[in-house]
Formats: sequence, structure tokens, C-alpha cells
Amino acid sequence: MTRARNVGSRLPDAITDPSTGRRISLLDWKAANLRASWFLTVGMVVLLGGLGWLIGYVFEPGLAGLFLGIAVVIGLGQSAAAFYASDTMVLSVAGARPATQDEHRFLVNVSEAVAIGAGVPAPRVYVIDNPAPNAFATGRDPQHGTIAVTTGLMSLLDRQELEGVVAHEMAHIRNYDVRFMSMLAATVGAVVLLRDVALRGMRFGALGRRRGGGSSGGGRGQIVAMLLLVVLLVLAPILALALRMAVSRRREFLADATGAYITRNPEGLALALEKLRDFRGAPMKVSEGVAHMFFTNPTARLNANGWFATHPPLQDRINRLRRM
Amino acid sequence: MTTIIVLVILVALVLFAINVYNRIITLENRYQNAWSQIDVQLKRRADLVPNLVETVKGYAAHEREVFDNVGKARAAMAGARTIDESAEAANMMTAALGRLFAISEAYPELKANENFRVLQEELSSIENKIAYARQFYNDAVLQYNTVITTVPGVFFAGPMGKTKHVYLEVPEADREVPTVSFSAGAASA
Repeated sequence: MTRARNVGSRLPDAITDPSTGRRISLLDWKAANLRASWFLTVGMVVLLGGLGWLIGYVFEPGLAGLFLGIAVVIGLGQSAAAFYASDTMVLSVAGARPATQDEHRFLVNVSEAVAIGAGVPAPRVYVIDNPAPNAFATGRDPQHGTIAVTTGLMSLLDRQELEGVVAHEMAHIRNYDVRFMSMLAATVGAVVLLRDVALRGMRFGALGRRRGGGSSGGGRGQIVAMLLLVVLLVLAPILALALRMAVSRRREFLADATGAYITRNPEGLALALEKLRDFRGAPMKVSEGVAHMFFTNPTARLNANGWFATHPPLQDRINRLRRM
Repeated sequence: MTTIIVLVILVALVLFAINVYNRIITLENRYQNAWSQIDVQLKRRADLVPNLVETVKGYAAHEREVFDNVGKARAAMAGARTIDESAEAANMMTAALGRLFAISEAYPELKANENFRVLQEELSSIENKIAYARQFYNDAVLQYNTVITTVPGVFFAGPMGKTKHVYLEVPEADREVPTVSFSAGAASA
């Protein structure tokens, strides 16, 4: 009937970090995520303020303070939006609709059961009408936890496999991965936005200077600032993106390990990953901005080891689960 | 100067003691709450059982023994006073329901009944939730036991009157695949 769940010989709330092989307490991991989310928000505001000031200094030295203010407001706005609205946004971008007790009884029951095992409130459950098997989690804390699952996943997996996937998603929520990743996404977004504004400004600025004749351009300081700005604006988004991907891959391994811990059944999740690996149907089409949130990246080649891959290769994830 | 140092050490000791005391109480509350999670599921299951029995009786009225067992388990659940008694009654119910579902395999019309199918999914998912709740409970008890038997908690447990708590056993019926054996009475259908 149900499989045996004995008292674990391992202490609760601690798992082996698959990337380092060291024991990691889930409470520490959660605390690290919360700390990092704050750090990111503060860091982003400082970075954006600095960039805004530089932009101002290059184009209108008298108004540098104003530019700084605008950039800080953009940064705070992005953070607030990411904190409060990213779940609603992501759900609508993915075309998810709320699951109903009648239509999706099985999925709702599985989610409630896994939530009990994870010691978190039952998440809101959403369904995406898509034949490709996939799932994602969102919600800034366990009280706002939301899990979305494609119809393809539901028809492909049996109970223990679905439990594995849901537990993986629950791990992202419980450990505040979702909050951290959406703050990170907001930072990348704000930097990109500022870059676009600055690039446009530079075009106008260059024209303006030519019109005004050689003498009106600022001194040497302005030229240095200009170069610095160009380098920062080109590099920042790339670095931020690479960081985001590396952070994302590590979190997938940790969520697999936590999911296996919650269900006490690594095999269920491993079997699910095998089915997803062998799935030959058309992949899901989702916007690049949300692809990293899914259980496996909808673009197959982004489940890899490369710099910009969001998820580890599926076979790696399976092997690590089997070794537990 | 010495008085200040002594005072500081005393305050630190008191804060430390409060911290350990609170930790023990927190963990105790956690496992007690974890029990209520199990209890909720047990009550939900008990509420669904009469409906299930009625449905099955419509197709297999003569399976007296099975219905008797379910009834006994229900009575045991209602009469349970302690966690141990509840757990034992819950295991009886799990076994009785397992037998009932095993027997229902022999009645295709029953299996095709929509109401029966919904009840079957609900009950097996409740069974699953009970298993998860029991796992969470045992984790909580393990944490509690660890704290009150290791330093520094062990120095506090005695004076606080806290002793190790027992784990919930996984019933035999859950460990093994149920063996479906049709009794002579059942086969005569």
C-alpha cells in the first residue's frame, strides 16, 4: 500500500549538499537565502544609484543627484514588484489556472500530503494546459507558496513520481529559493533597463556634443567616467546573468536532495526525471525570463553544465539521487 | 570591577538557561502539534468510512467479516483516549480498509461505481497524508529526544520533568504489500 517511512537515521532538516559533499542544515540554507535576498536588494539600490549618478555626471553634471534619485526609485520599484507581484506575474505569463478539487483531485491530494511531510501550509495549486511535462514553484514565503504543474506532467507520472516533483518544488518554497531568485531577477532587470536608458542617452548625448562644438564637452573626469560607465553597463548584465545561472544550478541539486528527504524516496524523483529525460514530444514554449523557474528548463540544451545553463543535466540529477 | 564581571557572567548564564528552556518547550510543542496533524486526517478518514461501507454494501452485502472489522476499528477510534490508543486504532482501521479494498477487486460493478472511485482515491490519499504526518511527527520527536538527552538540554530535562517520547510505529500492514486472501465466505459470491 504505502511505502514504509521509518525514523530517519539522519537528523531532520539537514541534507548533503550535492555540489560540495558537505552536510548542510536546511535552516542555514534558508537563513542564507534570506540574508542574500536583503543583501541583493541593498546591493542593487547602491549599484543602481552609482550607475545613475555616473550617467548624470557624464551627461548633465548639474543634475547628477536627480539621476541618482531616479535610479534608486527604479531599483526600489523593481524590488517591491518582485517581492509582492512576481508570483501573479509568473503564473499569468505561464498561462496557469487554479486547480480545482473536482477536476484535479489527485494533484491537490498529492500536494497536500507532501506539504504535511515538509511541515509547510498546503500550497495553492495551479494547472498549465500543456502536453510537455513540467512544473514550477513561486511565492515569496511558505504562506504564499504556489505550485503549478502542466497537464502533461500529470498524465505522465504516477503518485510517487508526482510526489517527488511536488516535493522538489516545495523545497524551493520552503527554503526561500523563490524569493532569492526573484530578487536576483529584479536586479538583472533593473540593470538591463538602466543600460538601455543610458545607451539611448549616449546616442543623444554624442549628437548634442557635436552640435555644441568641441569646447563645451566636460573635462578629463567626464571622459573617464564615460569609459567606466560603458564598461559597467556592458559587463554588469552579463555578470549578473551568469551569476544567476550558477546560483540556479546549485539550487536545483539542493532542491532534488531536499525533495528526496521530504518524501524519504529518492527513487520517485529519479523515476520522474527519467521520464522527463525520455520525453520526445514538443517542448513547452515559455518566455526566457521564467524558464529558469521550471522543474527542468523547457529548452533542453539549457539543462547542461555551460555558463548560461539554468539547470544541471538531467542525467546528473538522476545519478545523484540514485547514490543517496 | 570584580562585581561587574560576576554580574555579566551571571546574566549570560541566565540568558543561556532561558534559551535552552525555550528550545525544549518549542520542540515539545512542535511534536504535539505534529500529532494534531495526524489526528485531523484520522477524523477525516473516520467521516468517510460510513459512506464507503454503504456503497460497498450495495454490491457485496454478504462480506460480513470485513464490515465487522471496519466497525470495530471505528469503535476503537471513538474510544481512544491516549495517543498510543489512537495510533493503535488507526492501524486497525488501515488494516480493515486495506482488506475491504482488496475484496472490492472481486466486484467489477463496484469498481466501476463513480462514488466508490472517488472514495477510494480520497481514502488512499488520506492514508498517504497519515504516512507523511507520522513521518513529520517522528522527525519532531527525534529532534525533541535529541535535545533532552544531549548536553546542555540533558541538565534541564530532569528538573523540567521531561522524558524521552516514543516514536509512532509503522504498522506491519504498511510495510508489506497486502496479501489478498479470499476467505471461503468471500469466494461464494
